[in-house]
Amino acid sequence: MQPPLMSASGPDYQPVVTLNGWLPGSYVTIVVGGLLVGFGTRLGSGCTSGHGICGIARLSPRSIVATGVFMVAAIIVVALTHHVFAG
Amino acid sequence: MPILASFLCGFVFGGGLVTSGMTQPAKVLGFLDLFGIPSGTWDPSLAVVMAAGLTVASIGYTLIRRRPPLFARESLWPTKTEIDQPLLFGALLFGVGWGLIGLCPGPAVANLATLSLPVAIFVIAMALGMLAHDLWLALPAPRSLAGKAAADG
Repeated sequence: MQPPLMSASGPDYQPVVTLNGWLPGSYVTIVVGGLLVGFGTRLGSGCTSGHGICGIARLSPRSIVATGVFMVAAIIVVALTHHVFAG
Repeated sequence: MPILASFLCGFVFGGGLVTSGMTQPAKVLGFLDLFGIPSGTWDPSLAVVMAAGLTVASIGYTLIRRRPPLFARESLWPTKTEIDQPLLFGALLFGVGWGLIGLCPGPAVANLATLSLPVAIFVIAMALGMLAHDLWLALPAPRSLAGKAAADG
């Protein structure tokens, strides 16, 4: 008979680490990404929380449009960096 | 009391971001990677986070529309309604940055708790980006983006 603790280390078990400080990208990508996120959220008056949750929850047309734009832009960037130009 | 309320709100917000996985850039990129749908590696779980967040926020907004806030004189609702160039261009830039690293402002700040150097550099760059925007707005020169310039006549 297996001791109960063993079941937690079976093949399906993965430790839940949601905060480990690792970022997927070089320092150049991190700085460029940070600058874009900072400038863009100020210019566009909001981010995923501001437009995506608070704005859409108020049914604000500006927030619905902004969320659509940044979701599509991010999806395209991920497709380009991870598939089209994947090294 | 307002400080305690702010602390509690930040605590709940940060806890939600960490619990849901929004603070994991790899998970966020796995959600944004639609090429993962045909290959079976797509992680749709953050859509559930958004749906749940919207449900709670909608109920909250419905409740606070009827009454003044507990710890402030009045609620400051956004007044802009026009879908203008700054909104579209800003959302575009933000989306590109988000797609590059997988961190948006809230989770980036929550990630500072790891004391990780890459995260600290990201947050500093983000702050510089915000500062650059404000400096650019303060410039007296004519700007190509309409909206704010139009108000100056």
